[in-house]
Amino acid sequence: MIDFKNFKRPQRYIGNEWNAIVKRKKAKLRICICYPDIYEIGMSNLGIKIIYSLLNKYPHVACERVFMPADDMAEFISQGRKKLFSLETKTPLNEFDVLGIHLGYELNFTNFLNILELGGIPLKASDRKKTIVMGGGIVNPEPLAEFVDLFFLGEFEEAADEFIGVLKKYRTKEERLAALAQLDGFYVPKFYEVSFLNNTYHFEKKYAQAQLPIKRVYVKDLNNSHYPQKWLTPHTQIVHDRAQIEIARGCPNQCNFCQAKAVYFPYREKKLASITQLITKIYETSGYENFSLLSLSASDHSEIAEIIDSSYDFFKSKRIGLSLPSLRIDDVVGRLYSKLLLLKKTSLTVAVEAANDPLRRSLNKKIDIKKLFEAAKIIKNLGVRYMKIYFMFGFSQESEEDLSAIGQFLNALNKSSGLALKASINIFIPKPFSCWQNFPMEEEKILENKRKIILSYIPRRRNIKISLAFLKKSILEAVISRADRKFSSVIYRAYTKGAKFDGYRENFSWNIWEDSMKEEGIDYRFYLDARTDNFPWSFIETANMHMSSNS
Amino acid sequence: MQNTRFLLKLGLYKSGEMIYFSQLDLIHILARALRRTNLPLYYTQGFNPRVKISFSSGLKLGTQGRVDTTFYFTEQISHEKLKTELQPQLPEGLEIIKDDVKC
Repeated sequence: MIDFKNFKRPQRYIGNEWNAIVKRKKAKLRICICYPDIYEIGMSNLGIKIIYSLLNKYPHVACERVFMPADDMAEFISQGRKKLFSLETKTPLNEFDVLGIHLGYELNFTNFLNILELGGIPLKASDRKKTIVMGGGIVNPEPLAEFVDLFFLGEFEEAADEFIGVLKKYRTKEERLAALAQLDGFYVPKFYEVSFLNNTYHFEKKYAQAQLPIKRVYVKDLNNSHYPQKWLTPHTQIVHDRAQIEIARGCPNQCNFCQAKAVYFPYREKKLASITQLITKIYETSGYENFSLLSLSASDHSEIAEIIDSSYDFFKSKRIGLSLPSLRIDDVVGRLYSKLLLLKKTSLTVAVEAANDPLRRSLNKKIDIKKLFEAAKIIKNLGVRYMKIYFMFGFSQESEEDLSAIGQFLNALNKSSGLALKASINIFIPKPFSCWQNFPMEEEKILENKRKIILSYIPRRRNIKISLAFLKKSILEAVISRADRKFSSVIYRAYTKGAKFDGYRENFSWNIWEDSMKEEGIDYRFYLDARTDNFPWSFIETANMHMSSNS
Repeated sequence: MQNTRFLLKLGLYKSGEMIYFSQLDLIHILARALRRTNLPLYYTQGFNPRVKISFSSGLKLGTQGRVDTTFYFTEQISHEKLKTELQPQLPEGLEIIKDDVKC
C-alpha cells in the first residue's frame, strides 16, 4: 500500500468520488481511460466523463480512470516500487486489456509516454503483446503512429457498441485490431504504408480489409446518444468545478481558422426537453452548485432563451450558479439581457480575434463591434466585474495597423465601459482541417516583431491585463499538430531527454525539442510552410467531406 | 426571505480513504450531499449563496477522527431525519456517529 500522506494533494490518487463506478476485478473486459494531465485538469474534461459512464453501461466491461501523476508521485513510481495504477481498483495499467488515452492536446504527448512507462507498458506499439493502447480526441494522429496501436477518430458514443462487440468476440490483440480496422473511424497505423514522394504523401493499405480513407464518425442523434446521468462528482476542487450540460455539438459559424468547426461537423442541437431533464437529473445525482451549458457557440442554440427561461426558477431556488461560456455579443444586447441580469454572471468572454473590421471580415468572424461596446456598458451594470477578450495574430494579410489596433481597441473599450479587461492574444496556427490548413505559419522573426508591435500599443493600466502567447510553445504546438509519422522519433527523443508537462510554461523547454529535431535531421519549418491540398492527415475524411462527396 | 435558521449538531467520523480529503474538501462534500437530499437547506446570504455548514474544529489531512459539524435549516427538523436523509448521501469513510450525546 502506498502511504498517500507523503504526497502533495493525495486526493488526486484516491478515486472514490461520488458516482464513481467500481466493479472490482472480476469484469471480463477491463478498460482504463486516461487524460494525460493532472487530476484537476483531466477530471474537468467532458469527454472522459461521457466515455467513463458509456463504457461502464456494458455489464461485462469495467472502465476505470487514471491521470498524469504529479512529479512527486511519478518519482516514487519510477523508483520501481509500484506501477502507475487506476483510481478505482489501484490496478497497474499493464493489467488492462485496453488503455484509452485522450490525445487532444499536442503538448501532453510526452505525458502520454510517461504514463505508459510508469504503467509498465512498452512505449512502442510494436513491442507490446497484450495491452491495446488506443488514442482518441486527436485530429492528426500521425506523429503518434509509433506509440499507439489503435486510434479512434470521431465521436465514440456512435461506435461503442461495435467496439465492445469486437473485443468480446476476439481474444487476442491481433484479432481485435484486424477486426476493428474494418470499422469506420478506427485507424491502426501499422496496417498502412505512408511514403513521401515528389512532395506528396501517399497512403497505401498493407492489410486489405482495413479502411482507406478513414471516415471520422459523428453522432447522428444528439438527443438519443449516451450522456451521463449519474454525474461523476469529485470530492476535491478541480479546474472547471461544475456539472456540464452539452447543449449542442459543432458550430454553425464558418471562421476560417477554426478546426473545431470542421472536426465536430455537422452542427447538432440537443432539444429543450432533453436539456431541462438532464439539468434536473444531474443535480439530483450530484448536488453540484454550479452548472455550465456547453457548446462551441451557446447563443447559436435555437432555443437558448427558452433553455435559460425554463431552468431559471430551478437554478434560483437551489442557488445554483450558471455559466454560459460562449455567448454571442448581439444576444447580450438583445434577447438575453434580462435573463443574464437575473443570473448574476461575473464575467463575459468574447472572441473578437481581430481588432480591425477588414481583417476580422477576412477571418469570416462575425461580430458587431458597435454592439460589443454597447454590451460592455450593459454588463457593467449587471454587476459583471470583467470581460475576457480573445485576439489572434500572425496572419500574412495583417498590417501594422491591425496590430496596433489591439491596444487601441482595449483602451477604447475600457474607457467607454469602465470594465476591467483581460485580453488573451494568441498566434494563428494553420490547424489540420480548418479552412486555412494550407496557409503557412509565419516565420518566428516576423511573429516576434509583430508581438513587439502589439505590446508597444497596449495601454499600461491596472484594469487591462493581457496574456500574450509564448512564441516557441505555439510553434511546437503547430509543428506537432501538422507533423507526419517521422515525427514519432522526435517525440520519443524529447521524452527521453526529459520533456514532460510541455504545456506548462515552467516546464517547457524549447532547447530539448530543438535538439531532438536536429538529431533526427528534421527541419520543422517543413511542417509549417504552405501546402496545397496534400497533408500527412489526407487519409482522413471529416463528415463534411464525405457528406458532400456522397451527394 | 429565510431569516430564521435552525441549528443541528452532529458528530461525523472520518476514516478510510476520506482521511486524505481536507477540511475545505469536506465543506464541498457535505454541501453537495445535503443538496442531494430534500432537506430545507439554509443558504448564506452573500452574492454567491452557499449551503451553510460550520465546524467546531478541523482534522489534519491524513488523520482519522471525529469532526463536530453544525448544520443549518430553514425549518425545524429532527436529528433522526437529518441522519436518515444524509447518511446515504455520504461517501464511504464518512459516517454519522450513532447514539451520539446531543450537544
